[in-house]
Amino acid sequence: MNFWLTVLGMLVVTFGSRLTGMLLTAPLPPFWTRFVRFVPIAVFTALIIPSLEGSRGEALPRVLGAVLCGFLAWRTKQLWIGLFAGMLGFWLLRAIGL
Amino acid sequence: MFWRGFRAMFPLYLGVVPFALAYAVTARASGLGIFETQALSVLVFAGASQFSAAPLLGAGANGLAIILTTFLLNVRHLLYGISIARVLPNMSFRQRVIGAFFLTDEAFGTFLASGVHDYRFLLGASLSLFASWNAFTLVGALASSLVPDPVALGVDLVFPLSFLAILIPILKSRVEWWVAFASSLMAFLLVPRLPSGLGILLVGILGSLLGAWLTQREPIEAPSLEGIEAPSLEDAAREVA
Repeated sequence: MNFWLTVLGMLVVTFGSRLTGMLLTAPLPPFWTRFVRFVPIAVFTALIIPSLEGSRGEALPRVLGAVLCGFLAWRTKQLWIGLFAGMLGFWLLRAIGL
Repeated sequence: MFWRGFRAMFPLYLGVVPFALAYAVTARASGLGIFETQALSVLVFAGASQFSAAPLLGAGANGLAIILTTFLLNVRHLLYGISIARVLPNMSFRQRVIGAFFLTDEAFGTFLASGVHDYRFLLGASLSLFASWNAFTLVGALASSLVPDPVALGVDLVFPLSFLAILIPILKSRVEWWVAFASSLMAFLLVPRLPSGLGILLVGILGSLLGAWLTQREPIEAPSLEGIEAPSLEDAAREVA
């Protein structure tokens, strides 16, 4: 299949997924209103857990970095503090050979 | 408000920049030209899909398989759209279309966690990611021999950590913690066993169903998301100024 035809198909499926939900204007029944409230929690958890381990056998420093990140995000509610502290923690632990 | 959303994404550049560079290097090494490499970042604008598609496109693999993989990797955005449409019910059709085109995990999460119910914040966050992703796709495509491997540096960890830092402050009630805990278990068990993307969608749906089921007895709330703080007076003052 032609390169540009494939890219067009990719555009259709990504933009289609992004647009379908955005176009929903009808009020939702109460059950689905509550469903939507939990979407960010469930999806983000599903994005986080499988990517923590990594592919280079560095699971321990990565998970400890994540614990530090989670703790600081909980205490400070600042994305950048949790993120930078978690990354620094991971790099330090990796550097000392953990 | 647009710039507030734009700036809110700056910490994530720590992961976006090396990955945009790495994507461009992968695409160029797979035989795509500079123009084709950039076109994927502009038109598809989906990191994981671009990474998996580039070598296949370069090798002239079956287009339908590439499109199906892209669909599975991105179909969760359907849930994000529904969520945003609930928080911003007064968006115009044009705003919905533009907002959808630039929608990403990162912009969605940052927007929701900010508690700022303003379309301009969402658009600012979205375009911040689009601009950086595309600028560094171009840099990587032009200077592909100079780019280090981001996975060796460990900056791939930026993505789960930023999602975690977005997630934790939204968890307030006991039910929300239970949903996160159950979703973690499901993700641990299901995601590695299913085609990538499908597992994330499935856990997203099952976790949200669990939450909706557990809160059946709660009184109906305002459409805003529980646990997200309203913009402070300080923010309001800044907007007026």
